[in-house]
Amino acid sequence: MKTFTKGVHPAGCKDLSEREKIGAGPEPAHVWLALSQHIGAPAVPVVEPGQRVLRGQLVAKKAEGLSANIYSPIAGVVKEVAGHITISGKKKDHIRIENDFTDEEMLLPRLAEPDGAAVLARIEEAGIVGMGGAGFPTAAKLAVGGRADVLVVNGAECEPYITCDHRIMLEYADDLLRGIRFAMLACGAKRAVIGIEKNKRDAIELLSAKCGGDISVRPLRTRYPQGAEKQLVYGCTGRTIPEGKLPVDAGAVVVNVHTALSIFRAVELGEPCYRRVMTVSGKAAKKCGNFWVKNGTPLRDLAGFCGGDENCARIVCGGPMMGDAVFSLKICTAKTSSSLLFLDESECESKVASVCIGCGRCVQACPMGLSPTFIEEALFKKDYAEAKRYGALACIGCGCCSYVCPAKRFLAQSVKLAKKIIGERKI
Amino acid sequence: MAEITNYKVAASPHKLDRSNTRRIMLDVLIALAPCLVCGVLFYGLYALMLVAICVAACFASEQVYNLIRKKPFTFDLSAVVTGVILGLNLPPRAPWYIPIVGGVFAIVVVKMIFGGLGKNFANPAATARVFLLLAYSSVMTQYIGADLSNVLAGDVTTGATYLGGGIAALQDSFLNIGGYWGYVLQLLFGYVGGSIGETCKLAVLAGGVYLTARRVIDWRIPVVYLLTAAAMVLVCYGSASEILLQLFSGGLMFGAVFMATDYATSPKWRYNRVLYAIGLGVITVLIRRYGSYPEGTSLAILIMNLFVPIMDKYLLPVRFGQTSKSGKPKPQVMKWAMRCVCIALAAAIAVAVPLVNYTEVQLYTGRFSYVTDAKREFGGGYVFSVEGEAYLDQYDYTQPLAYEIKLNAEGDKVLSVRPITQSTMGYVANLAFFEGKTFDEIAALTDLSTDAETSATYTNTALRKMILECFTAYDANIADYSAISASGEHIVKAERCGDLYRFTLSGVADLAEYNYQQPLAYAITIDAAAGKVKYITTINESTYGYTVDREIFVGKTAEEIAAMTDETIASDITTGATITNAAVRDLIGECFAALEGAAKGGAE
Ligand code: SF4
Ligand code: SF4
Repeated sequence: MKTFTKGVHPAGCKDLSEREKIGAGPEPAHVWLALSQHIGAPAVPVVEPGQRVLRGQLVAKKAEGLSANIYSPIAGVVKEVAGHITISGKKKDHIRIENDFTDEEMLLPRLAEPDGAAVLARIEEAGIVGMGGAGFPTAAKLAVGGRADVLVVNGAECEPYITCDHRIMLEYADDLLRGIRFAMLACGAKRAVIGIEKNKRDAIELLSAKCGGDISVRPLRTRYPQGAEKQLVYGCTGRTIPEGKLPVDAGAVVVNVHTALSIFRAVELGEPCYRRVMTVSGKAAKKCGNFWVKNGTPLRDLAGFCGGDENCARIVCGGPMMGDAVFSLKICTAKTSSSLLFLDESECESKVASVCIGCGRCVQACPMGLSPTFIEEALFKKDYAEAKRYGALACIGCGCCSYVCPAKRFLAQSVKLAKKIIGERKI
Repeated sequence: MAEITNYKVAASPHKLDRSNTRRIMLDVLIALAPCLVCGVLFYGLYALMLVAICVAACFASEQVYNLIRKKPFTFDLSAVVTGVILGLNLPPRAPWYIPIVGGVFAIVVVKMIFGGLGKNFANPAATARVFLLLAYSSVMTQYIGADLSNVLAGDVTTGATYLGGGIAALQDSFLNIGGYWGYVLQLLFGYVGGSIGETCKLAVLAGGVYLTARRVIDWRIPVVYLLTAAAMVLVCYGSASEILLQLFSGGLMFGAVFMATDYATSPKWRYNRVLYAIGLGVITVLIRRYGSYPEGTSLAILIMNLFVPIMDKYLLPVRFGQTSKSGKPKPQVMKWAMRCVCIALAAAIAVAVPLVNYTEVQLYTGRFSYVTDAKREFGGGYVFSVEGEAYLDQYDYTQPLAYEIKLNAEGDKVLSVRPITQSTMGYVANLAFFEGKTFDEIAALTDLSTDAETSATYTNTALRKMILECFTAYDANIADYSAISASGEHIVKAERCGDLYRFTLSGVADLAEYNYQQPLAYAITIDAAAGKVKYITTINESTYGYTVDREIFVGKTAEEIAAMTDETIASDITTGATITNAAVRDLIGECFAALEGAAKGGAE
């Protein structure tokens, strides 16, 4: 079995929620829908304050170029289009909708003849973006003009705690496989490989039994970051994506398990992308589990719904390796929010950086083969050309270097910063 | 805006590996503990005091430096680690000021001036050891022998190390195992002279295994270092038996586990580490073999430390998906080169060890009738090749014979006899007569008849002579004699090895009938305890067959020999030989006289 070298192996902590069936999430009184839940230009609102919208109704239309449509997850009245904080700390434009709890729906028509072009158009129309976390508009990703021969489906879920993809694979296996077929149709791939880390044995067994022919399951070594695009493509197909290139340059297209499920729902049920499965977990949450959460739900509603302790040691949105610490529960979920973790003292670290002792563990751990300690050194000396020579541009931000560092240095942040500066100054 | 009352933001990743700097240093200290314990057991509490002084000097000088430079105090234990490692590198009876000088040098000059933990380019302990060796050469090379029974005492006689003094510095047997394996075991247990902490290889190994299991050190460095050193020993010393002796002696293993793996001064990328370790192995053995210092580990580490920044800067890991300028995937040159070199080294050792398993032993002394050559076997024994013949008179046939006779390392017992050429008709030697027997037992054999055939008896008789000659050859060439003084008209040299006294004499035989003065030279070994002649080795005598008949003399006492008249020693072959025998009889008499003189001299 091929697998990338290096990487790390953090404790999984998935048993808190991996046996919890996907249940219904909270019904928020208000939702704040960010206009920018994806990579690319923010969507353009098509509703006016005061206008009543139904569940599944288009509220913001994709802008020119790379962008995605946004649908209302509830029936209610649009209150305003205004700035609201996001997880990054910046204020961004959101559409606020007040729930009238009638739950009237207005779905897209079911696609009668799903051929490649029609599926692609539907994916674009339904506003589906990469739901693993990146938020790249899926339609743009799948429109590769037949250059890809294999579709890699990401079921690795290598981040600790998160179990939403695992539950989807178990509970929506048939829908998922049909979604994968639609995705293959849309991108023209002849076969699909579902890469699943070996710690999800039940999912591997179930999907292996159900799939067949041109769809196969690939058990992957349990190792972080197995679900990172380049590492995943390597593990599933043995192909290496050249530096600075996209998977399609290696003949592959990568979609997340959840994205594939959304494609199925958009095509067969006509349900646009307005909700997703989220994992709520951590020792400071009373009710750990996996829930269908509507986009734009304030994290406070979710915390109340799950009994999460607002004053626990740390609240993290996303996985503990790459996710962001939450500073306010006013922040709302988006299409890409895969989890909300309430961590107590024993589960997270408050680190104080000390001097680098030169152990080289960051170099051994970086899955991209960079030398984080030297990049950091070059960054501090403002020698960006040197940082580039050590490979700063290839950083995927996985955080393995920070994870292993015994001196607790903020290596991932340093490398990210070096990468940003090099990019901005075109060094 | 924030309404979580005690909100805490932090950078991802939110989960971290449990290791931290202090824990790593603590692990190193734990791994050093067995070495310290063994050092104290072998060399006494004084050694413990030296280590303690060294630790105190290192710790204090670091804090004082921090104070002067107005930096916060550091409690990361790294100074303690340096102190213990340097302390264990000192000779067990170094004066008290040596660890202070060394500790201050290591911390202030090597570490803190360059920026402290992680910034120093050279290993503090190794550099300090080299510095002390240069500055205080005489005290830094004064080693003492290990003594378990003597924990408290101050004085132990000084002793050499294997690297400085060779095999002579080791005891003859250890745990009742003699010879080569005795030496190896001695070195392995560290019951020898050397620096405090580096002699006991078992303790070093235990520390290395612990550190590897805790993932504190990269196993590649010590393993490749030792592998390279082994291959280099094979090349430079041309002997397989030297490999274990070299690896287990001096600070090589200690350095490989604790000093070469120092974080700040070893490369960061794993294949650079392999390259670094190869460099260490090569330099260490070169210094040991050709340098003027017997020990090369610290210096090798220091030299390779200087290359580390260059390696780290220019030999970079190949990035995932990195492409060369032409767009092809960049080849993993370092990775495969290092792997190939390591495999080649291992293969070279595997292939070469059996080949150089034997070391040729030069037989400089003596002219032998049967022995053609000798070699030392890996592990101790000596193998003699002998050739001769047996005359089977009832068939009027001369049967050529050749054997390989293996003596033990002490040269006092036949381990095995391997026939190479002998009769194919079944008249073969009865090896049971000889195998496992000592010289005296074989010399005393009288009945050599095998019941089956008289012809076999001839073979046995010939073999017996050959074997006796092997012992003689061992005595003349391999046995470890030391010179003594003795006087005698013909005595050129007198030596002693235990109860054995060996005299080298030269004289002449006056062959009047040919009007020829035949020069003679013999090495005659006398067993003083038994008062008997043991070996006679011919160095020079007639090449025309007027040779001494050793059988007449060997095993005889002074009185018996003195009583021999010219008639009793008449050799049936020629009068020439008889004259030679008479000359030898007189030489032996002189030896006994000299022996008596030497014994008296010793008594006075
Ligand atoms: S340098 Fe970047 S890619 Fe490498 S381990 Fe750190 S965060 Fe991951
Ligand atoms: S892991 Fe940390 S301490 Fe080790 S070399 Fe990298 S930055 Fe330095």
